Amino acid sequence: MSGTATPGAVHHQPYRPVFVGEGRTALEALFPHYPTRQACLLPALWLVQEARGWIAPEAIGEVATVLGLTPAYVRGVVTFYTMYHTHPVGRHFIQVCTTTPCSICGAEEVVRALLQHTGCGELGATSPDGRFTVIEVECLGACGFATPLLIDDDFIEGVTPERVAGILQGYK
Amino acid sequence: MTQDLVSVTIDGVTLQVPKGTSIIEAAKQAGVLVPHYCYHPALPSPAVCRMCLVEVEKAPKLMPACVTTVVEGQVVHTDSAEARRARTAVLEFLLINHPLDCPICDQAGECELQDYVFQEGRGGSRYGDYAKRYNPVEEFGPDVLYVPNRCILCTRCVRFMEDVAGSPVLNVSERGDRAYIGIDPGQLLDHPWAGNVVDLCPVGSLISRDFLHKARAWELDKTASVCSGCSQGCNTMIDTRDNTVVRLRPRPNLEVNRHFMCDHGRMHYRWMNRGDRIEAPLVREGERHHATDWDHALQRLGALLGSARRVVLLASGAASVESLGLLRRATRKATVTAAVQIPMAEDPDQPLAGVPNLALRRERAPNGAGARLLGYTAGWDEALNAAAAAEVVVLLDVALTEAEARQVGATAHLILMGTHEGQVLGSAELVLPVTNTAEEGGCFVNRDARVQRYQQARQAPGMARPAWWVAAGAGGGDAATAAEAFDLVARDVAALAGLRHADLGLTGRIAGAAAPAGAGA
Repeated sequence: MSGTATPGAVHHQPYRPVFVGEGRTALEALFPHYPTRQACLLPALWLVQEARGWIAPEAIGEVATVLGLTPAYVRGVVTFYTMYHTHPVGRHFIQVCTTTPCSICGAEEVVRALLQHTGCGELGATSPDGRFTVIEVECLGACGFATPLLIDDDFIEGVTPERVAGILQGYK
Repeated sequence: MTQDLVSVTIDGVTLQVPKGTSIIEAAKQAGVLVPHYCYHPALPSPAVCRMCLVEVEKAPKLMPACVTTVVEGQVVHTDSAEARRARTAVLEFLLINHPLDCPICDQAGECELQDYVFQEGRGGSRYGDYAKRYNPVEEFGPDVLYVPNRCILCTRCVRFMEDVAGSPVLNVSERGDRAYIGIDPGQLLDHPWAGNVVDLCPVGSLISRDFLHKARAWELDKTASVCSGCSQGCNTMIDTRDNTVVRLRPRPNLEVNRHFMCDHGRMHYRWMNRGDRIEAPLVREGERHHATDWDHALQRLGALLGSARRVVLLASGAASVESLGLLRRATRKATVTAAVQIPMAEDPDQPLAGVPNLALRRERAPNGAGARLLGYTAGWDEALNAAAAAEVVVLLDVALTEAEARQVGATAHLILMGTHEGQVLGSAELVLPVTNTAEEGGCFVNRDARVQRYQQARQAPGMARPAWWVAAGAGGGDAATAAEAFDLVARDVAALAGLRHADLGLTGRIAGAAAPAGAGA
């Protein structure tokens, strides 16, 4: 029932806790900024996603424990927000806008080029080399500069199918 | 007190309610039911369903009645065109994804969605071309099934588990039209009070596996009763279909169980339907029992009880105040050793965290406190030992081990008042069929000394009669109804002084508390 994206390769290694050593320090640095531990939930989840690329069920348990919340509550929050990944994704996460203005300006072609050059094959899937995952998103707020991409934290405007291969070179 | 009251007008009815009351509760007092889903009096209100929107004069928009508190001079219209339009719109949203499977849904007939759509919903759908959301049925726990398609996301179940049960295993997963009630992976909804989510669910989304497809709501006869599962004395409703008990549900009593009952109590009904019943009075002649009529049986019983000097009474903790009391009256000339049998659970009390003084108690009998008030205070072993020297031993619906049966079998006159054939002992001189809790009216006294009435929910089998009726006929006194039997008993017992059956109502009274005005005169 969860999510619409196809799960990629599932990690079978034993779970490694995120909030030990430096991870713990980063978490504790958050605490003074928020009135309650519960209020730290979203940034704590970001820490997990930055460290692991996605939020595994075990990570939900870990976050719940360190913040004194219940796993059920944390899971509700994780599944509510679409930007938290509940399944593994590629090293680089590519979001491409296909909303109306971009669509008119050829976003579909950009998507096709992305799927071909990354080797993902379909939206939501991870490429066999584990490098990329491509998804469609609604409006990245750059309608005047169609088609925009969001690769990890990099925002790239005016992407055409021809530019795709060159852009991907920068992400190993 | 008066300074804390505010005056409001709801649908033309002006009334005074305490400050801080929500509009929805004030409306109830004005005789107006504001349709609602997420609101429940025993749970915190999140105002998420938007069903209870009402028009408040001078407010810029419709207000949710469940979280808007009354203020002085407020004028509320729950049935104005605008309020009705809002409700119709909410119902239309809910029906976008709610299946129209009422014919196979357990909740049909007691479904708040069905009721309100029938009252105020649109006749047809504007979404005919779109497929409805579909998710498979999930098993949440031993008895609870979740049908996500029917869920309207009122979150009552989530809030019950979190705020009342203190076991937050449920959540709202995903969002928008994909949202559903999720359960913590690896967890089960197996809290001892989890069954309440089935009652709380306003639609047929959380359903009881035990009751699944057993009956339609409109076929059920409902009888106010008291749970016989433990000494807490939760108020219940016995639902019967064709003289068979099919379900127990909690009946609100703010002093005892609020709106809840535990799963142990909920499942404590199968014995009420058992078929291996004693159906006629039996007398022993030689080695065999012969069926007889009540006139003859009561005559023999009266003669035995009236002439005996030493009597032992062994009674079940599920026997009513009336039965226990009239049995004492019928043996009042003798020296009586009376004991009550109370099964004790090995587990400790299982409390419902969010409600003070509510738990599944270790003492697994409903009327232990009542029996003690009526002098059934001898130890069980003490009473069994006294049986050898007694002329008459009366067993009232008790379960004896083989050794205990041998012990009481040695007595001169053994009288057995029982419900089922398994209890019949060869040495019993008289075997008298009595009714079980579901088949008689009576009272229990719970652990907090609250005397509570229960009513007859099903017909007694054969010639079985309430034990108080048997005791009355054998010299216990002149009582033709449970009410008369209670008043007769209460007159004799200091702890019940001033209590009258007519004053007990459906929520009971505390024994020993100040008598109501005019009572006992």
